[in-house]
Amino acid sequence: MAQARALSRAAWARENATEFIQTHVVNIAGGVLFLLLAVFLLWPISAVLVKGVYGPEGFTLRFYERFFTAYYYRSFLNTLLLGVLTTSVCITAGFCIAYLTTRGPRFLRSPLKWLTLLPLIAPPYIFALSIIMLFGRRGFITQLLNLDLQIFGFTGVVIAQTMAFLPLAYLIIENMLTSLDSSLEDSAANLGASEGKILRSITLPLLVPGFLKGSLIVYVMAVSEFGNVAILAGRTPFLAPDIYTIVTGIETDFHMAGTLSMFLLLPVAIIFLVQNYFYKDKGYVTISGKPSYAGPRQMGLLILIPMMIVALTEVGLIVLSFAVVAIGGFTRIVGIDNTFTLAYIVDWRANHALVSSLRVSLLAGLFGAALGILIAYVVVRGKFKGRGAVEGLCLAGFAMPGTVLGIGYLLAFNSPPLLLTGTMIILVLNSVFRFAAVGMEAGITKLQQLSIEVEEASRNLGASTPTTFRRVVLPIIFPAAMYGFIYVFMTTMVSLSAVVFLTSPAYPLVAVFIFQWAHSGYIGLASATTVKVIAIVAVCLGIIQVMSRWTGFSITGEIKGRYGG
Amino acid sequence: MGDEAMLVVNDVHKSFGHVGALRGVSADIAKGELISFLGPSGCGKTTLMRIICGLTKPDAGEIILEGRVINDVPPDRRGIQMCFQNYALFPHLTVAGNISYGLQVHKWKKDKIKARVEELLHLVQLEGLGDRRIDEISGGQQQRVALARALALAPKVLLLDEPLSNLDANLRVHMRATLREIQRKVNITTIFVTHDQVEAMTISDRLVVMNQGAVEQVGSPVEIYEKPRNEFVAKFIGYVNMLQGVVKDTSDASRSAVIDTELGESEIALGDSRLSRGEKIYVIIRPEAIRLDIRKSTGPMNSFAGSIRSVMYAGSTVKYTVDVGGKDLIVDEYDPTTHGIRRMGERVVAEIPRNVHILRADSRTPVLT
Ligand SMILES: Nc1ncnc2c1ncn2[C@@H]1O[C@H](COP(=O)(O)OP(=O)(O)OP(=O)(O)O)[C@@H](O)[C@H]1O
Ligand SMILES: [Mg+2]
Repeated sequence: MAQARALSRAAWARENATEFIQTHVVNIAGGVLFLLLAVFLLWPISAVLVKGVYGPEGFTLRFYERFFTAYYYRSFLNTLLLGVLTTSVCITAGFCIAYLTTRGPRFLRSPLKWLTLLPLIAPPYIFALSIIMLFGRRGFITQLLNLDLQIFGFTGVVIAQTMAFLPLAYLIIENMLTSLDSSLEDSAANLGASEGKILRSITLPLLVPGFLKGSLIVYVMAVSEFGNVAILAGRTPFLAPDIYTIVTGIETDFHMAGTLSMFLLLPVAIIFLVQNYFYKDKGYVTISGKPSYAGPRQMGLLILIPMMIVALTEVGLIVLSFAVVAIGGFTRIVGIDNTFTLAYIVDWRANHALVSSLRVSLLAGLFGAALGILIAYVVVRGKFKGRGAVEGLCLAGFAMPGTVLGIGYLLAFNSPPLLLTGTMIILVLNSVFRFAAVGMEAGITKLQQLSIEVEEASRNLGASTPTTFRRVVLPIIFPAAMYGFIYVFMTTMVSLSAVVFLTSPAYPLVAVFIFQWAHSGYIGLASATTVKVIAIVAVCLGIIQVMSRWTGFSITGEIKGRYGG
Repeated sequence: MGDEAMLVVNDVHKSFGHVGALRGVSADIAKGELISFLGPSGCGKTTLMRIICGLTKPDAGEIILEGRVINDVPPDRRGIQMCFQNYALFPHLTVAGNISYGLQVHKWKKDKIKARVEELLHLVQLEGLGDRRIDEISGGQQQRVALARALALAPKVLLLDEPLSNLDANLRVHMRATLREIQRKVNITTIFVTHDQVEAMTISDRLVVMNQGAVEQVGSPVEIYEKPRNEFVAKFIGYVNMLQGVVKDTSDASRSAVIDTELGESEIALGDSRLSRGEKIYVIIRPEAIRLDIRKSTGPMNSFAGSIRSVMYAGSTVKYTVDVGGKDLIVDEYDPTTHGIRRMGERVVAEIPRNVHILRADSRTPVLT
């Protein structure tokens, strides 16, 4: 007995020691992470916003004055309308498709899902290209049906942005729908509610947090990812392209850019606050107990048919767009000189940009995932006060319009000690801090499933903290890291809004390359390069999927499991 | 009980892909009775309940309510209400909102809804909690909200799928009584699903023991306890002392038999059943029917010497494991305060009663004694 007690006391002391080290390591790591987030998110963002109220003469509101007297307020209203319209359509259509792929006819679920997700691997402005080639003055459909369409303007922009960001909305809503306890709907049906009534009184109210989250992400993308907007807007002004012109134009004016950024940010900040503070504790957890198996309830025709129309329209447009861009990439000048050419697909400038993009994206993916997971660990396991701030800051980076963060980096890192402008590092860092939240959210979910007791049990069995981390924590958190990697990698490959301000001739990025050529009307080259981007992203995902046999991480499985953004 | 069957389950089959969840289940449920479906996890209890209330379609078989086949009647027209294993309370509605959901769907008038909700809250002893959010009440209270919600529309049959399995031990026992009381008060035909045999025994009028998608035995708690039909039921109902044996000799005159068991030779009473020499059987002995003694020698039949291997004190009883020549017997002794508690390693004589339950080892049919 005495011996046993002595032994357990030794074990106890050891446990206390590891406990001590662990708490402090985690807390110190927390401090370092906070500092990093402050330098690479807080500082650049503040730099932009301060510019808007701080001229050479000191504090001033004259840029805001100009905002309201020049045409800029119209850009603001247009942008607001664009964001609201795109978001509403994306959320509505996303919900319809998600409802179909979780409760609709079984044979439709998989094809519908993967086709809907397809645009995620393409640059968002693929839809500007396809709209021009389909409905432009010399577009296939315009000529075929002899139409007289005006696609350049507000309508074209909304359509393109909706097509581009609907997959994001779908993914989030689908995930929420899958995790919704189906016995709630069964219960309502048992109590006599019709499918429509169940939708209105149970399903939709429970999805509100998902709708908010989806709205935030889609809204931010719609107003700041301005490829489609710049290409299709014509004479209609929008904030993000305005900022782009102001910053990259002949007379660079960071003050006005700062003011415009404020207005780009304002609605986003409002949704962000609503989502994170007012709605936080209204997230509905399932009460308790076993999940029940969802037998597919038959969807009534009154609900099935309208949803099918939405889904088929969307999927049809996606397939059509991909097809026409593929054709466009091998056609000399669509609609004018419809002869086959390989010139665009072998273009060396495009290949150069592609390689450089791939390098940046891989690095960003690696570091972005690592940073996200580290933050997740610190947020979940740390005991220090500012945990919430670390998490919030990271999320804010994700919710930040890319345009704002791009200018922020330009302003913040163009003087010593952090002179990064024109380097590859600034491109990588920008993506890392912009998207780390995805890995973080995924990591937090995983870590919350792994109770601290499991780690303690491992340590109790004699494993040291590093061993515990390697043998217990890492395997569980690995899928989250992979998920973060894929998201950051893919988004960095195709996203334009931030890096467009940061590329230099030495480090061209393919997203910027495509945008600039498309913007100047070289649809063929832009299409061919888009095809190459899609192919490369698809191959990378394919490799990860094939590796799943060894890594245990499957993309299909993970997308089914959860969405971390 | 049971002349007019309220609900009949007739040879119901259901499989999910390769998994045969139900393989021909039949049962009659009488009006006003509380019948338990008892079986281990995964034996198809929930599936059967979902089929009865219409949320899942059976592959074959019929559900008959008051003489009418209701297979094609949708779940909301059957008058059968199910309480889900996880309660399935609507988290965005209040307690009252949950209870009144069905009433609102059926377009009841506001004041009638209000009155009915009050009545139900009173019935399940939740007065005054109507405005609480679902996550602001305890597990036992959530359970009662689920019950009230199911009772709101005054269904003909109530299905309770493991209603108590999410509660802690003490609360379970308390809620068991509450449930039974409410069921009697409303006089509603109730199917109670559980995998806890004690719970099933104490609460029900009758039991249906299920295993792997089939019914093993139907009967009153006493019947099931005293005359389990086969090995599975015996084990599931909590019999721990099952001795393998061979019939050595039978005597028609004294209606008894001598069995060569793992412990040694024992004489047992046969009652009405027949055994033939050489037959392999199981002898089932209830733990409380074995008597322990120190004084007696091993002389008479049915007495075997052994030693106490473990002692588990449980207040009103002590549970001993007695090692008899390498075979463990579980023995319950009541009122240890009066009798004193035996020590580990103490030598005792275990006396086995003549009246035991016998099962044929080779078939599933019982030999009734
Ligand atoms: N929708 C479904 N799809 C596939 N298999 C299912 C489905 N529903 C049930 N099963 C399977 O059918 C069998 C019976 O399941 P059921 O939920 O009815 O068991 P149960 O007796 O209620 O178990 P428990 O006590 O754990 O609740 C199990 O093997 C289960 O895996
Ligand atoms: Mg069950």
